[in-house]
Amino acid sequence: SHDPSENILICLFSLLVLSMVLETQALTPTHHLTTTDVARLQAVLSQPFTDLKSAYYSVVGLSKLGILVADETCQFIKSNLDPSSVESLFYAAEASQALSGCEIPVSNDTRDLLLATVSEDSTASQIHQSVSALSSLGLPLASQEVVSALKARISKEDNVLTIILALQTASRLSQQAELGDILEEIEDLAARLDDLSGVYLQFEEGLETTALFVSAAYALSDHVDMEPPLKEDQVIQLVNSIFSKKSWDSLSEAFSVASAAESLSNNRFHVPVIVSAQGPAAISHSQPFLRLQVTDVLCQPLSSASVLVESASTSSSKSAILSQAPFTLRDEVFELNFMASQPASGYYQFSVAIAGDSRFVANHVELKVKVSTRVAINNMDLSVVDKDQSTGPKTTRVEYPTKAKAPFMADSHQNFAMAFQLVDETTGVELTPHQTFVRLHNQKTGQEVVFVAEPDSKNLYKFELDTTERKTEFDSISGTYALYLMMGDATLENPILWNVADVVLKFLDEEAPSTIQAKTLYTPKPEIQHLFREPEKKPPTVVSNAFTALVLSPFLLLLILWVKLGANISNFTLSPSTFLFHIGHAAMLGLMYVYWTHLNMFQTMKYLAIIGSLTFLAGNRMLAQKAVKRYSNCFKLILLLLSFASTRMESILFRLSESFTFPYKVHYVPFTHHIEN
Amino acid sequence: MSNSVFSVISRFVEEYRSSTPNKLKVIDAYLLYILLTGVFQFLYCVLVGTFPFNSFLSGFIACVGSFILAVCLRIQINPQNKRDFLTVSPERAFADFLFAHTVLHLVVVNFVG
Repeated sequence: SHDPSENILICLFSLLVLSMVLETQALTPTHHLTTTDVARLQAVLSQPFTDLKSAYYSVVGLSKLGILVADETCQFIKSNLDPSSVESLFYAAEASQALSGCEIPVSNDTRDLLLATVSEDSTASQIHQSVSALSSLGLPLASQEVVSALKARISKEDNVLTIILALQTASRLSQQAELGDILEEIEDLAARLDDLSGVYLQFEEGLETTALFVSAAYALSDHVDMEPPLKEDQVIQLVNSIFSKKSWDSLSEAFSVASAAESLSNNRFHVPVIVSAQGPAAISHSQPFLRLQVTDVLCQPLSSASVLVESASTSSSKSAILSQAPFTLRDEVFELNFMASQPASGYYQFSVAIAGDSRFVANHVELKVKVSTRVAINNMDLSVVDKDQSTGPKTTRVEYPTKAKAPFMADSHQNFAMAFQLVDETTGVELTPHQTFVRLHNQKTGQEVVFVAEPDSKNLYKFELDTTERKTEFDSISGTYALYLMMGDATLENPILWNVADVVLKFLDEEAPSTIQAKTLYTPKPEIQHLFREPEKKPPTVVSNAFTALVLSPFLLLLILWVKLGANISNFTLSPSTFLFHIGHAAMLGLMYVYWTHLNMFQTMKYLAIIGSLTFLAGNRMLAQKAVKRYSNCFKLILLLLSFASTRMESILFRLSESFTFPYKVHYVPFTHHIEN
Repeated sequence: MSNSVFSVISRFVEEYRSSTPNKLKVIDAYLLYILLTGVFQFLYCVLVGTFPFNSFLSGFIACVGSFILAVCLRIQINPQNKRDFLTVSPERAFADFLFAHTVLHLVVVNFVG
């Protein structure tokens, strides 16, 4: 059997490049242990142990990683063993099992103690420990009793850890025992896992519990030779959860991860496959092989696998380049000479299948592979074209990487033009890289202007410089400019910066050439002074005063007119209400003045309410009195008239009554008597 | 033409002098005063400028408002209109006049600034 540590060392450093692997229908692991992670796990487990418990974790953990521990540990275990404690016996028994040639002496009392712990009243942990100790020490145990104790325990405590311990315990029992019920617990437990965004599957109790579940489930499944009811996607999600953490808080956590990794790489049913490209998945003529590492979760290469490219197609056009091409195994790395299929440069989508073992899980992988190439510049023609087309263009051909000997001239009469072709160095296919720039650099002033060279329909690149058109870009600064061709692309292995020629540009309306300062974008700008609104010009005081007098003058006229008309206050009745009214009214007017000078509306309303109501009451009284007086005069007049009318009416009636005979003669008293009273 | 206009005017003035009760003449004098005040304010605004515009507006509105209220009072007091204002006694008209003036003054003083 191979030495796993050597394999780990051979397993070269690969990136967490599974992020590069696109997910299609089936999940592929996004997190896995790399060799450094495995080494770190090993280091954690190799720490010097202080007590029997840590010795157990270290020894058993390292044995799961396939690393043998020094035999001196046996002495340590024996000396630290406490035969009266089931836990101590468990640790010692399991650890000694992992060491070679380490025997723990067992007495009858020990055996009895262990057997007595197997009962419904012990905790699941105790049952697990005693059963494991009995099994490791080679002592007989009654499997059926254990099963019933476990079942009773599960029905009492339904938590996840209890069931996991039950599973672990059941895997140590005889195969003839009735393990069916306990086996069903795997499915129930799997249903209790939390699915986090379709990537992770873990218990809410944490990483350790999830890892212990995995190792327990596969241990029991292997023991009874029945496939665990976990779907492929679930297995991958468990892999993501368990191996996403690369540094472990405690020894027990590291131990659980190690045992989960061991069970996932060694069980009979599901072996998750980790596929990663060695280095970047880039192929070129110098590097024609696509190299893949195919390992299990412990980063051990799966040599029995056969790797096949199901299809390889360009990312853009989806036309297939390869179909069903096998990888060859060399030094535990699978490689494929992709360049042999002569792909054009660009990105390719690979669909890779790993076969060879029916246990493989996540054995269909999608990869994005880049094919890069070297570019060659052909037919670089520099020419000076007359604007009015009077003479034909003078063309000079320049070969990369030389520079044109003579500088070219471009001014108001002639333009400078450049044409070239970009081809793949090996295949001669025309290329259109992402970046094709023409840079003109004025060495004296340091100014540089960059243009883009565009390909036409025949993939021929053209660039033309018209000095009148491009005046603004150059700030009309004439001089000698060095012309560079800059080219780059992700799929080009040789980006190019080529000083093609010197171009002398002459601009009309040239301003005094000044060295270009860095654009004054970031210098402080001139301060803005806030201009307050200017107060409007007021007219001279004389004018204002004159008009004030003018506006007040009609009041005099009013007084004069009133006097002329004979308006007087002779009807002024001296009564309290009139006084109050006039005082209140004057107060209201005074309040108006005070409002103008001092108060605001709210205060004014307050005072107005008070004064106003007083004035109103007084005024009401006063006016009512006036009205009564007016009416009383009126009333007297009316009554007088009425009395006259009534006497007339009476006499008419009397005369009338005389003409007719009435049965009764009424003794008539004139009405006027009543009025006079 | 002017002759007839002149005669109409003089006739009107005579008629006014004789048949208008004194009370109404007092109010008419008041109306004339208000009118002149308003006119002079407007003249200032036209000649000198609208600088504090809000003050001009409030003064002008005060004149206009007072004029209107006085006209209302005059109408309501006029004995010839008694039939139209059966429910409104002259005292009531005067009280209304005073109340409306209070409100007007409040607004004007608020706006004069």
